[in-house]
Amino acid sequence: MSIFNVTTGAPFRVLLAAAAAAILTTTTAARAQNESAFHELETKYIFGSFTFGSSTGLEGEKAIEPDTEANFGKRSGRYAAGETELELEHTPNQYVEIELGPTFSYYNISSVPGLDNRNMGGINGVEGTFRFLLVEPGPSRFAATLSIGPEFHSLDETSGDSVWNYGLETRIEADTELIKNRLYLAFNLFYEPETTTQVVGGSFGESTIGASSALAFQIFPGVAIGVDVWYLRHYDGLGFNSFTGDALFVGPTLFWKIAPKVLLSTAWEAQVAGHEAGVTSALDLEDFSRQRAKLLLEFEF
Amino acid sequence: MSIHFAFARTRAAMLLALSAAMLTPATAVHAQQAAVSISVKGHHFQPAEIHAPANRPLAITVKNLDATPMEFESVSLRVEKVVAAGSEGVVNVRALAPGRYEFFDDFHQETRGTLVVQ
Repeated sequence: MSIFNVTTGAPFRVLLAAAAAAILTTTTAARAQNESAFHELETKYIFGSFTFGSSTGLEGEKAIEPDTEANFGKRSGRYAAGETELELEHTPNQYVEIELGPTFSYYNISSVPGLDNRNMGGINGVEGTFRFLLVEPGPSRFAATLSIGPEFHSLDETSGDSVWNYGLETRIEADTELIKNRLYLAFNLFYEPETTTQVVGGSFGESTIGASSALAFQIFPGVAIGVDVWYLRHYDGLGFNSFTGDALFVGPTLFWKIAPKVLLSTAWEAQVAGHEAGVTSALDLEDFSRQRAKLLLEFEF
Repeated sequence: MSIHFAFARTRAAMLLALSAAMLTPATAVHAQQAAVSISVKGHHFQPAEIHAPANRPLAITVKNLDATPMEFESVSLRVEKVVAAGSEGVVNVRALAPGRYEFFDDFHQETRGTLVVQ
């Protein structure tokens, strides 16, 4: 277990100020709104889509979802890497949801120790997700879903090197409604084992575990803002063989149901605490990035 | 002759048993399923509140009496179904716990109703 070195720099203070402003704004807005204007929301994307809610969609629903995750900043140099998954999502019944789609990656890396300079993009494999409703929302308004996501990548997510990478992103996604149709709370548990074979030779396994919690407040009908907290631990080996580092990410989230068939879910998070095994500096910038962002659009058809 | 007769009788009994086995679950499910009906006219649900028994699968027949299509949708029921103008559709819902479940017309968001499960 590592001891966090909480950064007390400008980004952390900005986050605290943003959280305080959000709480004040939401409290004021809540008083001003007519409660009958607020209706039920599907919770899957209302937490910014680093943390997911338990909803598995509506039976018969089909949608296309460009889902982009970007990572920025390493210990030094210039680092930006992103991946967009073009998901086709379908809910065949009231308990199961399926997503499948190709991924595209892009890299802008310069003078980062341990990584080759790179400015490139390309098709980077395929990802699928199978979500099963485990606990139905009853009178307690608590619900939970199991999500299993097999992945294949031909480019390393961090460096852009040519690889054969297989992963299995597994999550428990739980949520509850604290105030009917207004305030939602989510918890996620995360485990992803990966195995990678490098084209230049050699192969290795790694695994990441984590937990998150997020709050989302429907501030206007169809618009929710919130805050998301993630704690992640990275290991060499598929079975937690050797601890390499951990990180705590915190940031704001936004969900906007733009139209009946279109929604946007976005989040930005900064690593505010962390530790890299064998390194005295704050944060784990070897296994994780300094900041990360998510942008998901859904077009239902 | 008697062997043929015995074989025919056995085959008939087997077919009867198989038919009974295939029909029984369907009949049982059908017997358990409750049914309710609702209409949409002038972009209003009629009635705006419908009732159904708890812990039984439910078939909701939605009659669209308007001249434009509607989409019956519910987040808590986890269903959606487009119903063309002047036609009807059936929405099958799993067995529900007691409570109030909102539904609406996704093409006309102000058209809303409630299913009360008791």
